[in-house]
Amino acid sequence: MKILVCLKQVPHKDARLEIGSDGTWIKEDGIKFEINDYDNYALEEALRLKDAGEAEVVVATIGPDRVTQSLRTALGMGADRAIHVWDDSLANADSLGIAKVLAAVAKEENFDVVFCGLMSDDSNYAMVGPMLAQLLDIPHVTAVVKTDFENGAVKVEKELEGGTLEVSQVPLPCLLAVQTGINEVRYASLKGIMQAKKKPLDKKALSDIGLDGAAVAPKLSIEKIYTPPKGEGANLLSGSADEIATQMVGKIKELGLL
Amino acid sequence: MIAWTEEQEAFKDVVRRFVDAEIVPNLEQLEHGDLPPYDTMRKLYDTFGMKEMMKARYERIIAKDSEGAGSERKATTGGGDMMAMQCILISEICRYCPGIVTALGVSTGLTAGAIIARGTRAQKEKWVLPLLTLEKIGAWAITEPGSGSDAFGSMRSTAKRDGDGGYILNGTKTFITNGPYADTIVFICKLDDGSTEPQDRKILSFVLDKDTPGLTRSKPLRKMGLHSSPTGELSLQDVHASADQLIGESEDAYGRSGAKETFGTERSGVVAMCLGIVDRCLELCVSYAKERVQFGKPIGEFQLIQLKLAKMEVARMNIQNLLFRLIELTNAGTGMSFAEASACKLYAAQATMEVTIEAVQLFGGNGYMAEYQVEQLCRDAKVIQIYAGTDELQITAIAKGLLRG
Ligand SMILES: Cc1cc2nc3c(=O)[nH]c(=O)nc-3n(C[C@H](O)[C@H](O)[C@H](O)COP(=O)(O)OP(=O)(O)OC[C@H]3O[C@@H](n4cnc5c(N)ncnc54)[C@H](O)[C@@H]3O)c2cc1C
Repeated sequence: MKILVCLKQVPHKDARLEIGSDGTWIKEDGIKFEINDYDNYALEEALRLKDAGEAEVVVATIGPDRVTQSLRTALGMGADRAIHVWDDSLANADSLGIAKVLAAVAKEENFDVVFCGLMSDDSNYAMVGPMLAQLLDIPHVTAVVKTDFENGAVKVEKELEGGTLEVSQVPLPCLLAVQTGINEVRYASLKGIMQAKKKPLDKKALSDIGLDGAAVAPKLSIEKIYTPPKGEGANLLSGSADEIATQMVGKIKELGLL
Repeated sequence: MIAWTEEQEAFKDVVRRFVDAEIVPNLEQLEHGDLPPYDTMRKLYDTFGMKEMMKARYERIIAKDSEGAGSERKATTGGGDMMAMQCILISEICRYCPGIVTALGVSTGLTAGAIIARGTRAQKEKWVLPLLTLEKIGAWAITEPGSGSDAFGSMRSTAKRDGDGGYILNGTKTFITNGPYADTIVFICKLDDGSTEPQDRKILSFVLDKDTPGLTRSKPLRKMGLHSSPTGELSLQDVHASADQLIGESEDAYGRSGAKETFGTERSGVVAMCLGIVDRCLELCVSYAKERVQFGKPIGEFQLIQLKLAKMEVARMNIQNLLFRLIELTNAGTGMSFAEASACKLYAAQATMEVTIEAVQLFGGNGYMAEYQVEQLCRDAKVIQIYAGTDELQITAIAKGLLRG
């Protein structure tokens, strides 16, 4: 089985974020980055298939030079090889642009399964997975919380609103966009990381995968990002946990909600 | 080497993840309770596949022995990569818990190290592998109530020949890391043959198992800091040791130089500890300086606070560069002279003490409170100026190097 895992590198969860001078994105210099959390679970799901039998796991990412560190981490965890695509024209890419690049990468080989995270921690669109599946003309399931591979198909559980689960049987090849918590993500071992240096990491330009800047030009652009102004009317309760609980019940009763 | 490589950065990230998940939530218990660090150490080894690596290292040690080439002490090139990873592991853990690193270092570095360096093949086969994999915990005992810096000169512990090829051991050791819990103990003493004067007596070291009759161990001693590393007293009363427990199985195998080599490796590991402590203090201080408002502005806007931050950054850069040099020298197979290792240890220990005490100051009253962590790092940092050779002894070693010849 051949598996593609799409990874995105996002600002570290502990990074202090500041809005950049043009007001359309955060300042990226000087902050740490890490693998998007959802993608860690996607990678782990793929590595479990590898552990269970014959599977090759390829990780792919799009981003500037800094993203290779995340690829090394993925290789250290057990992925077999990595693909890194970058072109300056991708700096403002929208979800469709990213999906087109990943589709071009995926079309170069015949993958049985494409794993990705449900969404990215930084932009929250949750669109790349479904768009990529569409471009590849394969079925997809989002918010995947369980997979069971058997005889060229996969039984997938998907999380619905309010904790309800939906079960479906999907033929391969397919794309699965994974929810967090689906598994326990492994740590890269020291030996794995030391061996990661020797594993193949292919750097590709758009032209290497038959695309150009025009083909991936964004249809969506960000006007501005901002922190919402502090609202009025918030009521801060203070005291011990017990006191706060008592005050809260009082407030709820006062508002006639109980 | 001028920066960590991509792989090294990747390792730093995963170790940090481990520390966040496994050490930070237990920090209170490790630092203020009675939770010994050994399960955390074993989990660390399991998580990062260190056991397998240690098994492979052990096999290399034994293979080298079979070639008759002596031991691991022989200068080999390469190895810088592994050393860098080790330094990363040490410094990342020390950002929260220098005690765990001390307990780990004494067990796998000093105790196993002493047997690897001078032991016979049979001794290595018996004791080294379980120590390297943390199946067994080790202690290395040289210090006594009456002998510390002058370790050999004032040493009172003795070994007397029992006339049957074995020895009778007596003495008290104190401040022994892992002492209260160790399974395997390296005991260093002087051979009393009934005629030689104490200052000329041979230095011998023995490997003892914890259940040896006549060996008693104290509970962990109460101390200023480093609470996550249990420290205790060992006392030996007419303990019988057979000849195959004498390291090297020869009265001339260990000697003063054996212990000195151990000091050397200890000194370099300490630099990595310092990097972690300083790095964490700086991180905490920068963030506090931005958040804490007095006189209507963040305290980071006061020049006196800026001076503290700037000095911390200078210390961090210097310590990191010392570490890079250590890694480079290891890679080149040359290693460091005793005087240079002493200089590194002296600088790193003093800089770290200064950084941590200034971190407490920068946090004001909060700095004195346990919740803000800098007080713990400050208490922990102090020991680095004392163990593995006091600052004063490092100064003496550096000066000796300069004035020699
Ligand atoms: C937490 C902890 C863990 C330890 N773990 C171990 C262990 O696992 N195994 C072990 O064997 N030991 C261990 N030690 C002991 C440690 O190595 C000694 O405490 C250290 O070497 C200093 O010896 P001392 O305490 O006897 O001080 P002393 O040697 O009595 O020194 C007292 C003071 O006099 C100064 N001084 C001494 N001689 C000179 C000189 N010639 N010139 C100038 N100044 C001098 C010293 O620098 C110091 O300031 C540990 C100690 C601590 C605190």
